[in-house]
Amino acid sequence: MLRRPDPARLITAIGRFSSRERDERDERTAAWLGVALGVSFTVAFTTGLISHFMQHPPGWAVWPSRPAGLYRLTQGVHVIGGLATIPLLLAKLWTVYPRLWRWPPVRSAGHALERALVFPLVGGALFQLVTGLFNIAYFYPFPFFFTTAHYWTAYIVYGALVVHVANEWAKVRGLRPRRAGAGARPAGPSRRGFLATVAGACGLVGLTTVGETFTPLGGLALLAPRRPGVGPQRLPVNKTAAAAGVRPDPAWRLAVTGDVARELSLPLADLRAMPRHVVRLPIACVEGWSAEATWAGVRLRDVLHAAGAGAGARVRVESLEAGGRYRASEVDPPHWHDGLTLLALDLNGEPLSPDHGYPCRLIAPDRPGVLQTKWIARLVVRGS
Amino acid sequence: MRVLRGRLVAYGLGAALIGVGGAGLLRDAAETDPAGWLVWFAGAALVHDLLLVPAVLGVALLTGRLPAPYRGPVRVSLVLAASVSAVALPMVLGLGRRAGDSSRLPQAYGAHLAVVLGLIGLAGAVAVTVRATARRRRPARTARTRCRCPGRWRRACRSRPSCRCR
Ligand code: HEM
Repeated sequence: MLRRPDPARLITAIGRFSSRERDERDERTAAWLGVALGVSFTVAFTTGLISHFMQHPPGWAVWPSRPAGLYRLTQGVHVIGGLATIPLLLAKLWTVYPRLWRWPPVRSAGHALERALVFPLVGGALFQLVTGLFNIAYFYPFPFFFTTAHYWTAYIVYGALVVHVANEWAKVRGLRPRRAGAGARPAGPSRRGFLATVAGACGLVGLTTVGETFTPLGGLALLAPRRPGVGPQRLPVNKTAAAAGVRPDPAWRLAVTGDVARELSLPLADLRAMPRHVVRLPIACVEGWSAEATWAGVRLRDVLHAAGAGAGARVRVESLEAGGRYRASEVDPPHWHDGLTLLALDLNGEPLSPDHGYPCRLIAPDRPGVLQTKWIARLVVRGS
Repeated sequence: MRVLRGRLVAYGLGAALIGVGGAGLLRDAAETDPAGWLVWFAGAALVHDLLLVPAVLGVALLTGRLPAPYRGPVRVSLVLAASVSAVALPMVLGLGRRAGDSSRLPQAYGAHLAVVLGLIGLAGAVAVTVRATARRRRPARTARTRCRCPGRWRRACRSRPSCRCR
C-alpha cells in the first residue's frame, strides 16, 4: 500500500504546512479548538478553586453540607475533564505550530509582548495537564509539592488565557454562522473530520476513565487509576493504616475537649451504645475518583450535644496519625449539624477495617476525602 | 471604544492573575521549588515543541504516502491510539504502585490498553476495508481496463498522482 517516497511531494507537504493558504484554513480550526479549550480551562479553574477553598475555607465563608454529592461532581469533572483536555490541547497546539516558526519572529513591540505571553499559556497548560495526570497516577518525578505548584500555576495559566482570548476574540466572533451570500465559508470536510477526530479522542479518554467516579460506567474504567468496588470492604483506600503508622489499640477512647460544658472520654462500647444511624455517602477523593458506601455509626452532632458544644462552634477532628498533612480536619457548623455526618464505626455492614480508619472515622456529605479523617483520637471544640 | 475598553480590562485581569500566581509560587517556595518548577514549566513546552510535534510531523508525512482513501482512517486511528496511550502511560508503567495498598492502580493496565488499542485498530481496519471495497466497485463500471502504464491495473495507478493514464 505504501508508495515510493516522492521528494517533490514531501517538499510540497512541508511547504503547505507553513503556507498562507493553510494558515487561513487552520485559523478557523484553531479558533474552534480554542473555544473548547477556553470552556474546559474555565471549568477546570472553577472546580479547582472549589476544591482548594473547600480544603482551606477563607475565614468569612463556610461551605454548605448539601448537596451531599457536590464535591464528588465538581472534582470528578475537574479530573476527568482535565484528562479529556489532553488530546484537545495537543490538537490546538498542532494546528498553530507553524506559527511558532513564522518569519519575521516579531513585527513590533506589541507583537513581541503578545508572543511572549503565549509561553506561559502553552507551558502552563502543558504543566497543569502533565502534573495532574502524574498526580492521579501517584507518580511524583517532580521536585515540588504537586498541590501547591498546581494551584499557583492555575492562576498563571488562566491569566495568560484571559489575555490570549482578548487578543483572539475577533477570530472567535468570526466563527458565528453568517447569512448565506454574506461571505459564508462552509467548513471543509477535512476541518470537520479533524475536529470530529479530536472530539472522538477526548471522548474515548473520558469513556475509559470516567467510571472511576461515575459508578454506572465503572466497567469501562479500564485505564483509570481506581476502580469503585476494589479495596478492603469493597472501597478504595488512599492511606493505609501501615502507611499512617496506626495500630489498633484495645484501650482506645474518643476524647472530646476544648470549649465544651463537659469533656468526654468515650470507649468504643459507649459509642456503640449511642443511637446508631446508617447513611449512604461517597468517599470523594481530591484525585477525582469516588465511591459510595454504606456507613453506620453515631451522629457527630449527638456526641457534640452530649459534650455541650455551642451551636456555632468549629470542631477539629484529630487522628491517631503522628504526622502528615491530613492528620486533622476542621468541621464547620453546617457539616456537624447535618444528620448525615457520622462518626462511622461500620462500613458496608462490618466494623471498619484498619485501612478505613478503625475504630472510628469521620464521614460527612459534600467533603473531600482527605478531610474525612480516619483513626479519630480527639474532637477539639473551638468557639460557641 | 467599547471594544478597546473591554480589551484593557481583560489585559488588567490577566496580568493580575499571572501576578497572583507568580507571587504565590515565590511565597510558597518551600513547597513549589521555583527553580524546579521552572524546569518543568519550560521543559513541558520545549519537549512538546522540539520533540513531540516533530515526531508527529514525521508520522504525518509517512502516512501521507498512503493512498488517499486509506490515509484518513489510518490517521484517525493513530490519533485515537496515541491519545489513550498518552493518558494511560503512567498507569501502564505503574510507578505509583505501593506495597500494601492493593486498591491503588489495581488493574492490568497494559492488557487493558492493548484491548482499547485493539478495538481502535479493528475499527480502523473496518473503515479501510469499507473504503477499499467501495473503490473496487466504482472502477468496475468503467471496466477494468489496463492503463497505459505497463503492467498495472487502473485502480492500482489511481493511487499514483504522477500516473497520467486517467
Ligand atoms: C489532566 C488535567 C488535570 C488533572 C488530572 C488535575 C488534577 C487535579 C487534582 C488531583 C487536584 C487536587 C489536588 C489536591 O487537593 O490534592 C487538582 C486541584 C486543582 N486543579 Fe487541577 N488538574 C488538571 C488540570 C487543571 C487545569 C487545566 C487547571 C487550571 C486551569 C487546574 C486547576 C486546579 C486548581 C486551582 C486546583 C486546586 C488546588 C488546591 O487545592 O490548592 N487543574 N487538580
